[in-house]
Amino acid sequence: MMNTANIAPSLNSTAAGSKLLREYAVTEAFDEMLDRDLQPRPHYEQLYRRLLTMPVEEFRRRKTMTDLFMRQDGVGFTVYQNDEGIERIWPMDPVPRIIPAREWAHIEAGLVQRITALNLFLKDIYHEQYILRDRVIDPTLIYSGTHFRRELRGAEVPRGIYIHVCGSDLIRDAEGRYLVLEDNCRTPSGVSYMLQNRQVLKRVAPQFFHQYDVRPTEDYPAALLDVLRHIAPPTADNPTVVVLSPGIFNSAYFEHSFLAQRMGVELVEGRDLVMDQNRVFMRTTRGLKRVDVIYRRIDDDFLDPLVFRSDSMLGVPGLVNAYRAGHVSLANSIGTGIADDKGIYPFVPDIIRYYLQQDAILPNVETYLPQVPSHLSHVLENLDKLVVKTVNESGGYGMLIGPASTAEQREKFAREMKARPRDFIAQPTIQLSTHPTFVDGHLEGRHVDLRPFVLCGEKITVTPGALTRVALPKGSLVVNSSQGGGSKDTWVLASD
Amino acid sequence: MLSRVADALFWMSRYLERAEQAARLLDVASQLDLDLHGVVASSHDLHWRAVADVMQCAPPADGGSPGVWLPATLTFDADNPCSILSCVKRARNNARSIRGSISSDMWRELNKLYWLLNDPDFRVRIQDSPHDLYSAVELSAQIFQGVCDATVARDEGWHFIQLGKYLERADKTLRILEVKGRQLLGRNPLEPSVTNLHWGSVLKSCLAFQAYQRIYINRVEPERVVALLLLSPDFPHSVCFCLQQASEALRAVGNPSEQPPKAWRLLGRSVSELIFADPEHIELNTTMPLIGAALDRCSQASSAVQEQYFLM
Repeated sequence: MMNTANIAPSLNSTAAGSKLLREYAVTEAFDEMLDRDLQPRPHYEQLYRRLLTMPVEEFRRRKTMTDLFMRQDGVGFTVYQNDEGIERIWPMDPVPRIIPAREWAHIEAGLVQRITALNLFLKDIYHEQYILRDRVIDPTLIYSGTHFRRELRGAEVPRGIYIHVCGSDLIRDAEGRYLVLEDNCRTPSGVSYMLQNRQVLKRVAPQFFHQYDVRPTEDYPAALLDVLRHIAPPTADNPTVVVLSPGIFNSAYFEHSFLAQRMGVELVEGRDLVMDQNRVFMRTTRGLKRVDVIYRRIDDDFLDPLVFRSDSMLGVPGLVNAYRAGHVSLANSIGTGIADDKGIYPFVPDIIRYYLQQDAILPNVETYLPQVPSHLSHVLENLDKLVVKTVNESGGYGMLIGPASTAEQREKFAREMKARPRDFIAQPTIQLSTHPTFVDGHLEGRHVDLRPFVLCGEKITVTPGALTRVALPKGSLVVNSSQGGGSKDTWVLASD
Repeated sequence: MLSRVADALFWMSRYLERAEQAARLLDVASQLDLDLHGVVASSHDLHWRAVADVMQCAPPADGGSPGVWLPATLTFDADNPCSILSCVKRARNNARSIRGSISSDMWRELNKLYWLLNDPDFRVRIQDSPHDLYSAVELSAQIFQGVCDATVARDEGWHFIQLGKYLERADKTLRILEVKGRQLLGRNPLEPSVTNLHWGSVLKSCLAFQAYQRIYINRVEPERVVALLLLSPDFPHSVCFCLQQASEALRAVGNPSEQPPKAWRLLGRSVSELIFADPEHIELNTTMPLIGAALDRCSQASSAVQEQYFLM
């Protein structure tokens, strides 16, 4: 059922009215700005009024300035082909996404609970494995998980914390409930866009901020540095922290250098580091300097060719040994991938209950497990309505989106699921919430998600802000950057 | 600081200076072209060939008049490592690989220049007015260094940036003097006004024309041009000034080993030769060996810097 936005006379303050919102339509999905009667939600009212009377050309001008600033700052990612880099700016839409204080408090509590439970889970499965003995999780799920690192069994990690930086992806269902779509506990990215978007929007559209008390997000790099220093080896007096990056050919390179700069620490690549006496050093103009903490943005697989992939040129041979000996600290710890494994995801509410004796504050998306026969038959019967994901994949690939698939694609997935049921999970196609986004000269609803960032060090910090990702093609539910997505500045209000 | 970062800062600065020099040389040469138009044919190509020699740019296989192929190849030819486009691209690549170590204002300026040079509309516009291209590059490089001076603490990184800039500038000034010296010596003397035009353009290539007039208040004379550009300890484009600054940067960066660094010794020798030379008694034929020696030492010093600080 579609309603088109007839501008309510009471809100149409100028005779001209703006064409921006003239044809805005809401669908069955939850719209962040407008309710079913096309009235703005209370926290959007100021912004709505402003957009109602803003001429399209003025908005377009701001969008152009946004693109220009993003380009000048080099905010984006590079796709390399034949040594020539094609730079793609990840576009930001100037209409901010707004979250009132009350909603944020709920999200924050849920995220704190989740990361606490996942850290306890990791500590357990890399040590006594009580959760397996108590038969809450099937051991096969752990041992067949590609990201379960046997090399870390029994090893002590600094301060007992495994996940220091976590980005969980949240979506809203048609009733506006926040659900967790997935956790990202390995090398979550996107926080640089969260920070940069705010800077750009403040320059491009300062009037939007008028009468809103938006909580600042500036503190994230300092908070991250606090976490990194907190986990330094106890013998390090004034710990040297570095960010370890795969280098400029990595698509997230902008973020690596951005964070290193904002924290005031060196950005290193594997080739800048050497091992000596089981300690890590970096090559400087004045000789070797010891490194105590590494914020590594390299996946476990590529971290140490002596332990993991031997063909990796990105890592440091011997790093894992130094880590296990406690001579260098890593954030995130090695082996956190099992916590965001899609096979484990359906059991996170059970994990929360097991370690914290609490119900999950933020529910999961309803998930079917083909390894359970009744689930499998339901999934096979409803393949055209479900989203099927391969365990161990990320980035939006290895996925079947039922409603958008061909019979042939569904056939293929059905065959695979019957053959290897443990390798899949299935979820109903949730209509992600929509948000007004500038498309072709006016605002249209586009699906969005929410990625807040949680830091776990001496205390757990959830920065009041997030990365809102937008799927730019009409109707698309896939928000990942590599497939035509964009982002929005996300405002967490200090009040409701 | 990380050796790799020091290396990148040095080369970022050097390539940008090189781009600025190329732009200025082309600008001055094309202005000179208009002045020499209709004068004796044999001098017509001199200034273009000089630019080609200074930038060490080889003529294409099919030859042709340098006035035609040189601007083309030295501006947007991506395959030519001396071209403005290549230099800016390399400067930017270096900057990008160490983004965390330069201020965002510096990055933004360099990035803007890169995108300007790659803008198809801009390339069309400057076909009619190449001066717009040259001045855009010069201005951008100067803004970059200005922003650098304003936003970077005088730390190791800043000194490597100065080192790259001044070594490159010294190198180019030396080459200009050497090339022009060879060209204009030992030829049948050209008309005084033509000679002056050429030497005037030498000054302009080093942004020294007005400085010259303030000091000498007279016609352009070759010996005095050489005195200013080679020996002046005060003028920012003079070889003596640049080598002193480069030496200073090396001293500030410090000395990882016990020995005085080789680069510092090399530069120091040239600096003392230049400081103690007599500006009143410059003769082109005695000064040429001085220039040649300084040029050699610059290259050797650059290699020594690489070995000492970047290739640990």
